[in-house]
Amino acid sequence: MSTFLQLTISGLALGAVYALVALGFVVIYRASQVFNFAQGEFLTIGAFSMVAISSQGVPWYVALVAAMVITGALAAGIERLVLRRMIGRQVFVTIILTIFIGLVLRTLVVLVWGTDPVGMPTPWEMTKSFELGTASILANSLAGIVAGALALTAFFLVNKYTKLGVAMRATAGDQEVALALGIPVGRIFGSTWFIAGALAALGGIFLGMFPRTVDANLGFVALRAFPAVIVGGLESPGGAVVAGVLLGVLEVWCQGYLNPQLGHFGHNFHAVFPYIVMIVFLMIRPYGMFGTKDVERV
Amino acid sequence: MPTKKLVTSYEQDLKLFPDMWHKVGLIAALAFLLVFPMVASAKWVTIANLTATSIVGAIGLMILTGFAGQISLGHAAFLAVGAYTVAVLGNEFQVPWWLGMPLAGMAAALVGLAIGPFALRLRGLYLAIVTIGLLFLVAHVLHSFGDITGGVSGIAVPMYTGLGDATFDAPWEFGDYEIPFEKKLYLVYVTIAVGAALVSKNIQRSDLGRAMIAVRDHDLAAAVLGVNPARTKIIAFALSSFFAGVAGAMFAYQQQYITIEPPFDLNMSVQYIAMIVLGGIGTTFGAVAGAIGFTVISPLAESVGRHIPFLSENLTSAQQSTVLFAVVVCLFLIYEPLGLLGFWLRIKRYFSAWPFKY
Repeated sequence: MSTFLQLTISGLALGAVYALVALGFVVIYRASQVFNFAQGEFLTIGAFSMVAISSQGVPWYVALVAAMVITGALAAGIERLVLRRMIGRQVFVTIILTIFIGLVLRTLVVLVWGTDPVGMPTPWEMTKSFELGTASILANSLAGIVAGALALTAFFLVNKYTKLGVAMRATAGDQEVALALGIPVGRIFGSTWFIAGALAALGGIFLGMFPRTVDANLGFVALRAFPAVIVGGLESPGGAVVAGVLLGVLEVWCQGYLNPQLGHFGHNFHAVFPYIVMIVFLMIRPYGMFGTKDVERV
Repeated sequence: MPTKKLVTSYEQDLKLFPDMWHKVGLIAALAFLLVFPMVASAKWVTIANLTATSIVGAIGLMILTGFAGQISLGHAAFLAVGAYTVAVLGNEFQVPWWLGMPLAGMAAALVGLAIGPFALRLRGLYLAIVTIGLLFLVAHVLHSFGDITGGVSGIAVPMYTGLGDATFDAPWEFGDYEIPFEKKLYLVYVTIAVGAALVSKNIQRSDLGRAMIAVRDHDLAAAVLGVNPARTKIIAFALSSFFAGVAGAMFAYQQQYITIEPPFDLNMSVQYIAMIVLGGIGTTFGAVAGAIGFTVISPLAESVGRHIPFLSENLTSAQQSTVLFAVVVCLFLIYEPLGLLGFWLRIKRYFSAWPFKY
């Protein structure tokens, strides 16, 4: 039972990171129909700028916010300079463009911060843990879960109750109508990228704390968050969060219970497990949990 | 301004080489291909072999993505299947290369057929992500059967000729003139690449290719017009993965020793997509031009990168060429959506209107 609890908690921590990344994908996709493959690099940049800022002696919580703002601003800048020019072009071309922007960003990360892994500073002791029954929980993973939950709640409140949220939803619904109603669609695109960048930075910071350290390959975790986006449905922020948490937990359970059962085949099996879940799921519901089926006119 | 002669009948439209200039161009290209290995150094012949491999792979992806409109980020998986098919067949059964290559194509085509049912239900981005999943799955399977595939440490790829234990890498000798391994490969690979381009051209102008284009442009409308989208998509997947499998086999035979990732990772899939986008999506010309452009740019980028002061101090040469290449692709995507095809059309237009500007 204690193994189960332990696995579930670390699954939740991983799931919170997946949810943050997946939500970033969905927010951008809903507003501008761009699937941003450079999201993983925002994770890395967020984590590295956090390390850089807090090493200057800035208090931890201030550094956290600063890292999120910097990454968000970078994302918004990329949208304004590059992707704004691509409006009206094939979806396919923008996907490829974001992949290559990602490559450029990764090289920039290597240029600025090098390839050596660094540790993420924490306001508490690195190995501090709480006892919960028979299981012990690292403070780092608990903080990841809490921060993820807070950020997600904040996002949904903004999305539901503020002017910006309403404008974002309107843009997602129909760009032309939104424009006709006086919503500055271009600025909304910018804000969605800002939000996606900030969420990714948060994910990167907490990912860099617990299971891993911060290095230039941190962003590869975004590849593992794809199934969450797809299972949740590309257009549904709620779906992305639910699927992200679910897949995080499933992945860790798989690592704990299924991998040893499969013998040689089970080595690293948990890394592909979310993809298998995704493929099976798509066979049943091709548009994900909460995605909408396209209705088309011939 | 016409860039092409006025076509007045279907026969004319279907011709592979519609006018004299195409024939002249073709003969010039063939002459170049024949002369090239005689004058080029071993390094450039090797690059030419890689280019031929890329052309075959890019044509495969062009059939799937350019003609049939199915976005695949799992192209490297099919190349991996092809490469490991020839490696395992060569090691376990001493299968000669001329039999191994078509078998590699077929093995990859089988995997492609298995993806078919997924492709029918999914569209656009959903399909793209599922094909990434396929890439990870193939890599996982190859890793976990390490006793056959060599796992992480990789596997040697013997290239038997079918005559006893003889292998292809021994040079041919004619008196005091000898043809080394890379030039022998060059002859084989260029033949395959030219053949692949012809097949792709023929697919494009036949009913199958037109059905694919109809499905790409609007599959519902295509269905209304009597095209069977399901059948067309599955054929596109099988054909595309056949070419990818052959390209994988070519890659394996040239490298002589292969590992799983790198090279068969997401990066490779992305490179193939970059090739067809760079070349110009939807045409055979695009696949060939993109593959040539891509493989020639990489060594060039490496030599340019050495002279950029800040980059050369902090990055490895592979990283330098990656970043320069990525910047070039980004600029192309933003400013020249038609790719090299766009350049070519503009040059053609300029000369056919000469001395006027438009």
